[in-house]
Amino acid sequence: MLAIKNLTTEFASVKALNGISFQAKPGLITTVIGANGAGKSTLLRTISGLEKATSGSIKWFDEELTQMSVESIVRSGIAQVPEGHAVISQLSVAENIELGGLFRKRIARGDLAIATKEVYELFPILYERRNEQAGSLSGGERQMLAISRALVSRPKLLLLDEPSLGLAPLISAQIISIVNGLCRETGLTVLLVEQNANTALAVADHGILLALGEVAADMPASEMAADSALRAAYLGY
Amino acid sequence: MNSFLTAFFSGTAQGAIYALVSLGLVLVWRGAGVVNFAQMGQAMFTTYIASQMIQHNNSYWSAFVVALICGALLGALVDLAIMRPLTSRKNSQLLNSQSMRTTIPVIASLGILGVLKALAGILWAGEERGFPSPVAPNAIKIGSTNLAITGFDLFVIGVVFAALVLTTIFFTKTGMGLAMRASALNPEVTRLSGIRVGSVRTLGWAISGTASSLAGLLVTPRTNLSPNTLDLLLIVGFTAAVVGGLSSLAGSVLGGFILGYVISFVNVYSAPENVFIAILVFLLLALFLRPQGILGSKEVRRV
Repeated sequence: MLAIKNLTTEFASVKALNGISFQAKPGLITTVIGANGAGKSTLLRTISGLEKATSGSIKWFDEELTQMSVESIVRSGIAQVPEGHAVISQLSVAENIELGGLFRKRIARGDLAIATKEVYELFPILYERRNEQAGSLSGGERQMLAISRALVSRPKLLLLDEPSLGLAPLISAQIISIVNGLCRETGLTVLLVEQNANTALAVADHGILLALGEVAADMPASEMAADSALRAAYLGY
Repeated sequence: MNSFLTAFFSGTAQGAIYALVSLGLVLVWRGAGVVNFAQMGQAMFTTYIASQMIQHNNSYWSAFVVALICGALLGALVDLAIMRPLTSRKNSQLLNSQSMRTTIPVIASLGILGVLKALAGILWAGEERGFPSPVAPNAIKIGSTNLAITGFDLFVIGVVFAALVLTTIFFTKTGMGLAMRASALNPEVTRLSGIRVGSVRTLGWAISGTASSLAGLLVTPRTNLSPNTLDLLLIVGFTAAVVGGLSSLAGSVLGGFILGYVISFVNVYSAPENVFIAILVFLLLALFLRPQGILGSKEVRRV
């Protein structure tokens, strides 16, 4: 279980996150929605250690993450797929995937091969293009690659930052449905940050609505999807 | 014909050394964003260590290996003891601006260079001394004809070739090599892959230290050794790195060889005093025709 308590992250005295608290249950998809600037990306970046929390706590089961380094957080089973299809474009597709599992090479070489095979089965197009430079991939393929890089580390918690950003609706629906399948089949816990509330709430179990760095609503995803007054007030449609 | 071959072979041997220096510079530049002016100071220091060992009746090869190891350690030490503490103090007012963050390590490297030179002067006195080579510097003979290549040239080319093959295998075939390339290209994604970018960076400093230490060992049999001997090598190596494209390892090696030929041909067909003019003209020409370097890539910014 991911438990966030009174979490505040400040940038030069601007509070991007202002004392937020919520929980994400294991094996489920929790989505964080909200308008631009609500603090969604800051939340994910604080969980993965890229930003330092000013105060408050982030607990993944018994581990307190706020004092850990990015590398240690990843090694404890929390993988982030950053915004903007973050792959290393000058490396090949295969090298990008290898990179994600590199830290496990010594401890679990056999499983690494299995994990690599699994992501290629999940995204066959990546297998076909494994020797090409990641920079030559389409936006959707790059997002698949970014997710694959995270998956070969065998995460328990997957942090997805706007996976549908800049993608055609069909492609983003495909990617979201693959993530949904992973969660249901393997018990992966997913924290999905999305601007596209409809897509996200359709697959999520639980919804968190962020507004100006604070939690404006915390309820089952189906209820949030049905609450048109809430949407009108915070998302503008 | 013979003077052409002489220029070619001696250019290859000199170029091989410049390639090492340039490779060392590019490794640190890519990994840490620092132009390390102390690099040849480190090499000078480790060559003195080798020289001391040889004077105390150790074999050339044991001194050779010890110097390379010291090169790696000194490189890592520079990063751990000076560069890392200097750049990691996020709260310092000085480090708030990007320009200061990039300038301070460069100034620090100049400081390290000064300290190493002073230390070498104190420990081993400032005057020039010779440095041995394991092979005779005479031209190789087949029957009674002198070939245009010396045994020493051949030795230098062989050692550098082996070093470059090892470096290539390291970068393309090993996980650590992949981690090093990845952290130079995109530190954030690399950290998010669970790789300790800081340690990878230190390893880059160590490899750079080894490469320049090797360059020091290979160049001093010709130039002799003093605290200031290797300054010139840094200038040529830096030019080679810029010509090759500061962001490309292969480019830096290529740039080194090209400069070796430029210098050697000017030496043979013109006059030694024209070498520096030639380097300058060549650098300006290269920057004018291909500012990103021969193998460097233009910075692409996504909007």
